[in-house]
Amino acid sequence: MAAARTSTTISLPLASRLTTAVFSLMLGVFIIYGVGLSHSETLHDTAHDTRHSYGFPCH
Amino acid sequence: MLVKYLLATIVAGLFAGILLTPAMYVRNVPLILHAEEYEDAGGHEHSHDAAAPAAAAAESAAVAPHTHEEEAGPELPFGRLGNTLLINLVAGAGFALVTGAAALLLGRRITLQNGIYWGLAGFFIFNFAPAFSLAPELPAMPAADLAARQAWWLITVLLTAGGVYFIVLREEIWAKILGVVLIVAPHIYGAPEVEDLASPVPPTLASEFAVSTLATNLFFWVVLGTALGWAIQHYAASELDG
Repeated sequence: MAAARTSTTISLPLASRLTTAVFSLMLGVFIIYGVGLSHSETLHDTAHDTRHSYGFPCH
Repeated sequence: MLVKYLLATIVAGLFAGILLTPAMYVRNVPLILHAEEYEDAGGHEHSHDAAAPAAAAAESAAVAPHTHEEEAGPELPFGRLGNTLLINLVAGAGFALVTGAAALLLGRRITLQNGIYWGLAGFFIFNFAPAFSLAPELPAMPAADLAARQAWWLITVLLTAGGVYFIVLREEIWAKILGVVLIVAPHIYGAPEVEDLASPVPPTLASEFAVSTLATNLFFWVVLGTALGWAIQHYAASELDG
């Protein structure tokens, strides 16, 4: 279990991870908002089947 | 910026998004199309004649006096399947980025071996928990105010994510209890309810849809979690090992 390949933690310090993590989180949240929650009619109509299938509140 | 890590998560998300599309077309999309026949047949007026809605739908399609917004809507011009594929690719990347970000923030590594657990956590947070009180809806089903349901959905996802963190990744007893409280709280509070349950959509379709969407999304998340583990191990391991 001590081998690096099977480790489930990241040894990299938080300071080195933070920028990427925050950027990734904000981009992901922005995308999920656009796909699932935005009231833009174009986005709603394009994402319609995915919204219903994914269980997002729709209509 | 850990560019390889970001790219690895996006690749995994796109892969899961591609596979989600045919999975949706097995059951979910046919059920949506079936429900829309009742939606087009005139939503709110309550027909007791089973044959009437379909006939009315055919009529309205031919004459088009009340063209439904979705048929004339300003969706992107790639066709129904193309649009859904595009959205699934984007959505897959979005959920992958959020999952990857969570692991990075928590200092945890998603691997091929534990990827399925990250996927199951994502399914529980984004699909299963919200669906427990706010079942996946078919078009034309009666539903409470959209903004209220979206707010409840969002809060439930956030609380459930917090709950999963406290239960799975913290050792303390108080954390386990707090986790359960966070997960249960939005369901005790209750999702926005609709006043009139009368629906033009047959209940059998609705129940089939609720189950088929959960199964489809479980598939999506298992693929996404596993793909995340694989992609991060193969493309980003050098970055994480510093």
